[in-house]
Amino acid sequence: MVLASLCLGRVTIPFFQTLKILFSPVLSLDPDWSETTYSVVMDVRLPRILAGLLVGAALSISGASFQGVFQNPLVSPHILGVAAGAGFGAALAILFFDNIWMIHLISFLFGLASVAMTYALSRVYKMTPVLMLVLSGIVVGSLFSALTSLLKYMADPMNKMPAIVFWLLGSLNHVSFKNLLITLPIFLSCMAVLLLVRWRINLLSMGEEDARSLGINTEALKAVIILSATIATASAVCISGIIGWIGIMIPHIGRLIVGPDHKYLLPISMVIGAAYLVAVDTIARTALTTEIPIGILTAVFGAPVFAFLLRKSQRAS
Amino acid sequence: MDLMLECIDLGFQYRDKIVFSHISFQALPGRFCAILGRNGSGKTTLIHCLNHILNPLSGRILVQGRDLASFSRNDIARTISLLPQEQIDIFPYRVLDVVVMGRAPFLKIAARPGEKDYTIAEEALRQLNAQDLSHRNFNRISGGERQIALLARCLAQAAPIMLLDEPTNHLDFNHQYHLLSTMGRLCREKGISVVAAMHDPNLAAMFADEIIMIKNGRVMAKGVKEEVMTEENISALYDMDIQKLRRNAETFFSPRDISLNSQL
Repeated sequence: MVLASLCLGRVTIPFFQTLKILFSPVLSLDPDWSETTYSVVMDVRLPRILAGLLVGAALSISGASFQGVFQNPLVSPHILGVAAGAGFGAALAILFFDNIWMIHLISFLFGLASVAMTYALSRVYKMTPVLMLVLSGIVVGSLFSALTSLLKYMADPMNKMPAIVFWLLGSLNHVSFKNLLITLPIFLSCMAVLLLVRWRINLLSMGEEDARSLGINTEALKAVIILSATIATASAVCISGIIGWIGIMIPHIGRLIVGPDHKYLLPISMVIGAAYLVAVDTIARTALTTEIPIGILTAVFGAPVFAFLLRKSQRAS
Repeated sequence: MDLMLECIDLGFQYRDKIVFSHISFQALPGRFCAILGRNGSGKTTLIHCLNHILNPLSGRILVQGRDLASFSRNDIARTISLLPQEQIDIFPYRVLDVVVMGRAPFLKIAARPGEKDYTIAEEALRQLNAQDLSHRNFNRISGGERQIALLARCLAQAAPIMLLDEPTNHLDFNHQYHLLSTMGRLCREKGISVVAAMHDPNLAAMFADEIIMIKNGRVMAKGVKEEVMTEENISALYDMDIQKLRRNAETFFSPRDISLNSQL
């Protein structure tokens, strides 16, 4: 998948040449390629594909974790308002700074801030019941969506507004090796934490009373999982914009393959999500002469696939 | 006989509404102790306080002489298991995957159940003659089979104290008797202390050794079944006129005049 994606694009590069370019830093090979071809593979496509793998894996594992913790197979990793918050942050940064680093940083911070607001809002009696969390997420999410609309309304319609709209639709276009290197440790550590505690998501999904009677400190475990999944999602959103449907759909495909046990579900979701996003991104940049925003494609593919999965899982169970 | 669980002057309230207060009783190993009371008398809340799912506001709970407040969540789960009243059936887990959850207090935070844990879970199902359930979908089996599966989870948890929260709710006649007699057998064979919140005084009379009656948030009567299960006590407990019927060694309770007592 990754190799195919490296070869395909506006310029199609032969398979073996791509392989050679890829290994050229470690092996000493005769360069039979032009500098442009090298740059297309190594500087443009490779970081973009790596970002696709990371974002797809992060959104899928976060989605699977959120669905388990919230005992609801229909929630997405954006449920607590991460996407809305990050989108607002990005719009703000585009309006005032127009610098890619500031956009990433501010959208990441607002993504986290919106989840912190959701969490604070949902606390009653020193507990955070799942229903309150979901409802608070909707409240905070609509607030930030409204504020984003306000910014769009105020933005310069020739210049800034298209930039905001395009960012909100999602794209892996602006990824470079530098911002990958910065986000990589965040991605990896969050996903590692989720993988480590993954079996305990089974216990949380049986309800809090059950989990507590089985010796789980539910508040602490929930906080760790929500925090890791949120940071992973916010990192994904800040480098790729809002890519919907992956986080909700991939765990369902995973469940069809390995069943609901999170011990197997989390790793398989990561792998499928990573492969799926790279595939969709390849289509996004090859199908038309201009790039299609990937958020549109994931939704266009996602909705019918998800409808099909829902019907199939209804019949299977 | 050594004390397993001792509950001293326990009290609980939600905001300013007192649910119960001054509850004291003891549970012994190998004895089945039933808590009786009307709806809303605080039976479930009491059960949840006993394993600190809810924190009691006053009083103490001693387990083998140690104060439960000094236990970690994990220590509590190794000592006290709970058969819950309601189950959540969102994800279609296999029964075996549900039973193996009982191993959680023995696994480190980042660990996943291994072969040994699955063997223990299968053995727990076998003890309940339910090994056939192992690979079935937990959401697609009957209510009675689910209770059996969750009872197997309690056995996998291997705790010396077992709490049952209205275990026969939603069960048909057959499953009620099957579940409670299995429970009684395990309690005696393994020396487990069982504390069960129950609805039906006849089932309690049949399977329990000790009875605790709770009315208006206080212990109304407690002691061995033969002393406590009297017409007067049960009539007072349920606010209706109840008579005791005898057939050989068995006793049953039934309203004296159903038409007179229907205005509850």
